Amino acid sequence: MSTLNDPRYVAMPTANRPINNGSSMHDDACRMDGELKVTGKAKYGKDIYPANGLFVAFVRCPFGSAQLVSSDADAARSVAGVVEVEVSRREGNYHGATVGHVVADSPAALRRGLAALNCRWRRRAEIVTAIEQKIDEEPQTTPDTSALLKEEGVLVLRAVYTTQVQTHSSLETHGVSIDHKGDSATVYASTQGTFSVRDGLDEAIALPRSKYEVVCEFVGGGFGSKLGGAGKEGNTAARIAAKYKRPTYLFVNRAEEHLDTGNRPSSRTHVTMAYRKDGTLLGGDIFTWGGVGPNRGGGGVTIPSGRYNLGAVKKTHEDVSLNAGMPRAFRAPGHPQGAFAEELMLDEIAHACGIDPLALRLKAIREDATRSMASLGARLIGWEQRPKTGAQTSIVRRGMGMGIASWGRFPAQVLAEVVINKDGSVVARTGTQDIGTGQRTMVGIVTADGLGVPLAAVSVEIGRSSLPIGPGSGGSVTTVNSAPAFAQAAADAKGQLLGLLARRAGVSEQELSIIAGDIMHGEKKLASWKDACNLLADSITGKGENNQRTVQADKTTGTSSGAQFVDLSVDTETGVVIIHRVVAVQACGRVVSRKLSESQIIGGVIQGISYALHEDRILDRQTGAMVNPNFEWYKIAGPRDMPLIEPVLWTEGGTGPRSLGEPPTVPTAGAIACAIFNAIGTPVRGLPLTPDRVLAALEASANGGRG
Amino acid sequence: MSTFAIAQPKTFEKASELVRSGRYTLPQLKGAGLDILDHVKEGLESPDLLVNLAGAREPSRAPVRVEGQTIRIESGATLAQIAESADILRLAPVLAHAVGNAATPAVRHVATAAGNLLQRPRCWYYRNHQFECLKKGGATCFAVEGENRYHAIFGPGPCHIVHPSNLAPALMVCEGQVHVIGGQRASLPVAALFHTPDKGIRSEHNLEPGEVITHITLAARPASGFSAVKEKQSFDWPLAFACASLDIQSGVIRSAKVCAGAVAPVPWPLPAVEAALAGAAADDDAAIMAAAALAARGAKPMTDNAYKVSLLKAVVRRAVVKATGRTPEGLA
Repeated sequence: MSTLNDPRYVAMPTANRPINNGSSMHDDACRMDGELKVTGKAKYGKDIYPANGLFVAFVRCPFGSAQLVSSDADAARSVAGVVEVEVSRREGNYHGATVGHVVADSPAALRRGLAALNCRWRRRAEIVTAIEQKIDEEPQTTPDTSALLKEEGVLVLRAVYTTQVQTHSSLETHGVSIDHKGDSATVYASTQGTFSVRDGLDEAIALPRSKYEVVCEFVGGGFGSKLGGAGKEGNTAARIAAKYKRPTYLFVNRAEEHLDTGNRPSSRTHVTMAYRKDGTLLGGDIFTWGGVGPNRGGGGVTIPSGRYNLGAVKKTHEDVSLNAGMPRAFRAPGHPQGAFAEELMLDEIAHACGIDPLALRLKAIREDATRSMASLGARLIGWEQRPKTGAQTSIVRRGMGMGIASWGRFPAQVLAEVVINKDGSVVARTGTQDIGTGQRTMVGIVTADGLGVPLAAVSVEIGRSSLPIGPGSGGSVTTVNSAPAFAQAAADAKGQLLGLLARRAGVSEQELSIIAGDIMHGEKKLASWKDACNLLADSITGKGENNQRTVQADKTTGTSSGAQFVDLSVDTETGVVIIHRVVAVQACGRVVSRKLSESQIIGGVIQGISYALHEDRILDRQTGAMVNPNFEWYKIAGPRDMPLIEPVLWTEGGTGPRSLGEPPTVPTAGAIACAIFNAIGTPVRGLPLTPDRVLAALEASANGGRG
Repeated sequence: MSTFAIAQPKTFEKASELVRSGRYTLPQLKGAGLDILDHVKEGLESPDLLVNLAGAREPSRAPVRVEGQTIRIESGATLAQIAESADILRLAPVLAHAVGNAATPAVRHVATAAGNLLQRPRCWYYRNHQFECLKKGGATCFAVEGENRYHAIFGPGPCHIVHPSNLAPALMVCEGQVHVIGGQRASLPVAALFHTPDKGIRSEHNLEPGEVITHITLAARPASGFSAVKEKQSFDWPLAFACASLDIQSGVIRSAKVCAGAVAPVPWPLPAVEAALAGAAADDDAAIMAAAALAARGAKPMTDNAYKVSLLKAVVRRAVVKATGRTPEGLA
């Protein structure tokens, strides 16, 4: 029963990244749902087309600010197959703002109905599409910083760093498919929180909570945008399903996904940082702005990050309301924006001091473990070959840069169940969703490990509100909180089984163990797994729990820091940046699955690269319309843009798993910006680092200025 | 989406007759249909007849053939067939590399030569049905005061699209001819296939309704090269690209043809560069760079695309150096 012989779970040899060999509970486990996903057998919410269903689409404002002058609801209602037309608002203050909806019997009728509605909009000229429009003058230096700058030998860096809007771009768009049967319902949701979908939904769906189930067995990405209730998509669909007592399908299209399901807000960071020539950071002023939606909130920029001792820093922040879709939590909210500014700022200071930026950081990093990770990463990237900043004159110039990450450890309630059936099957049960991170497989591995059976012997039930409660996927909490609960549940189930066997065999329970599914008494095999389970009167259920209290008592886990290093080339004639290698050292604590953990880190780096070089929500400055709500001009890095990414699982310090979802995407953009600075000798202070920006920075430096 | 009829003619003549018959108000010729699908989905066009050309081709005819010093490409040849043709790689490498640089392997596998020439521009205002731009009968080119980072740096206006074809500029430097049936002529030079917006804003090409491209011919140009700059190396439209072919004798460039793409509403020939290259030694990098700098002559950048002028000079230099059989310094 060795899993090594089970082709379902073994594909990639560990030899490809020897540095991570033997680091986890199960080095070779592949995703338990991998085959279902690549063959299309896995059904996502968006795949559930209900028979006899209703299809719903929103009516949306096409400009940054516009008034609905006219619409022809009667014409839309008269289209064959159109069931309902509702236009409840007459204006919108961002592209994608919803003002009503159309319901129809089929997608085709829905399209015809929307066309027949023939909305006519009058644009308003006064719109805000960029933070800069709302900044009349740069902020005043605070008195403390002014005093600091007057001290002898104190130097100053004044700089402005900007970042763009990144949309989540989940491959499965937002929405629900509700199978409403009149007095009960199943809600197929694309969500990051199986249980939180129900918040506020009872009323919309007009059923008590016990009469409907939320199902999300497979989720096509979320990155933070699918947290927090059923959303306007779920609530609208639920009201319509309840009204007509019919199955209802509402998934937004790609353009709507870009426009109105959240984003990582834009930012502007103004720094006035004091330092000494020896690289000592003295502090200063940091003023940040976040470009948010029509309502303020959500625009925070995480700088200072707290990872470095920057001296005495005064931080001020202001959200700027734009005529644009609003922010939503996005994989380490606020952090990549802040890290871009913080890391490049440090490199600029190091360069001005003539100090290696790694040396400057090693002095400024607060956490010892991060310092060790930075040293390891530097060795792996070959930091000693880093060129002197600005020394190259060739067309193609090489550069290296680095950045660091940190993440907290947040508690969440988890009830875990491990069921051993009389037929020998094992089922691990949790309602928590798997948003693509590998939660299902993680639960399987911890259960198999805890019981002493092969992974192939375990099946996992996941993503249903009828299953035991688990956390939403926010704050990188699922594994850190679920793994201990499942270890406990597996131990409970195992104890019950071995207790029964011990009584029957007349031995003590402590003398029994389970190895690869065999029940062992010392060195001797007492029974096969199947035979042992057959002795059960019925199934047994092991239970585990994790909550605020157990988390606080648990001293085996800690925060998740990391260090990333980038090696790239810049073509100074074209401004094109090609990244060759990224080394990503990441604190993982106890690793459940080598491959899943490597994948999380690689995925974070990929998203960071794409953010650094390409992604950008582009608003038309005249009309406020997003001109690129697609994957043609909203550019996401593709296969040929990928460097060699080397994840390094740092397992020192603690026996419990640590958060791994968010931290690996924090430092990437900053490290890339530092590497470009190293290559071309002038900083490019605005994301994305596109050819036009790189060329503009080169030109400005050639003219004696600074970008 | 409205309903439409689909016709499967067995010959190009039949296809042409269907379009000219007057029985349909909005007939469209269909190659792979990629761009038609985009237009229909966005509500930009509602054809009532699609004339599928797939069956109009003689199946026995090779998509790419060499006839003496002439290369013949069937209108339905896929971009992949052109890019991977050993004959084209040998006799007109600029063409293979230009086409091989377009889109993605999946698109190249179905997209046709004629479709690449006649595809509509990618301008984000044109492609959004909410913007009634000049091309759609409106009164404004929204790019002028709006978002024009990817728009044209050359051309008379009033519309500032860049022509999206990778194939056309490559054909321009290889004496490309487009062969048609269904009209008054049998063929026209590639340069005559397109017009600037001031000569007609609703379409980019000069074919009459019912004129159908049957095939393309070009002259062998073994000393030719292509260079492009893209923001992404996977699936992206070039910011600027250049095609060059040289007649090199005894190490001296006797004559040159250079054409730029993604910088103007039509494939943009660069006569000043061509003239400056004539007489230069093929390995004289200073002369090539000086000639490439002339590519910027006449450029009128918009508010956000002046960077394209720098890119153009770089890709012209690189394309010419490649045409001399050398590898220019630079990424990609």
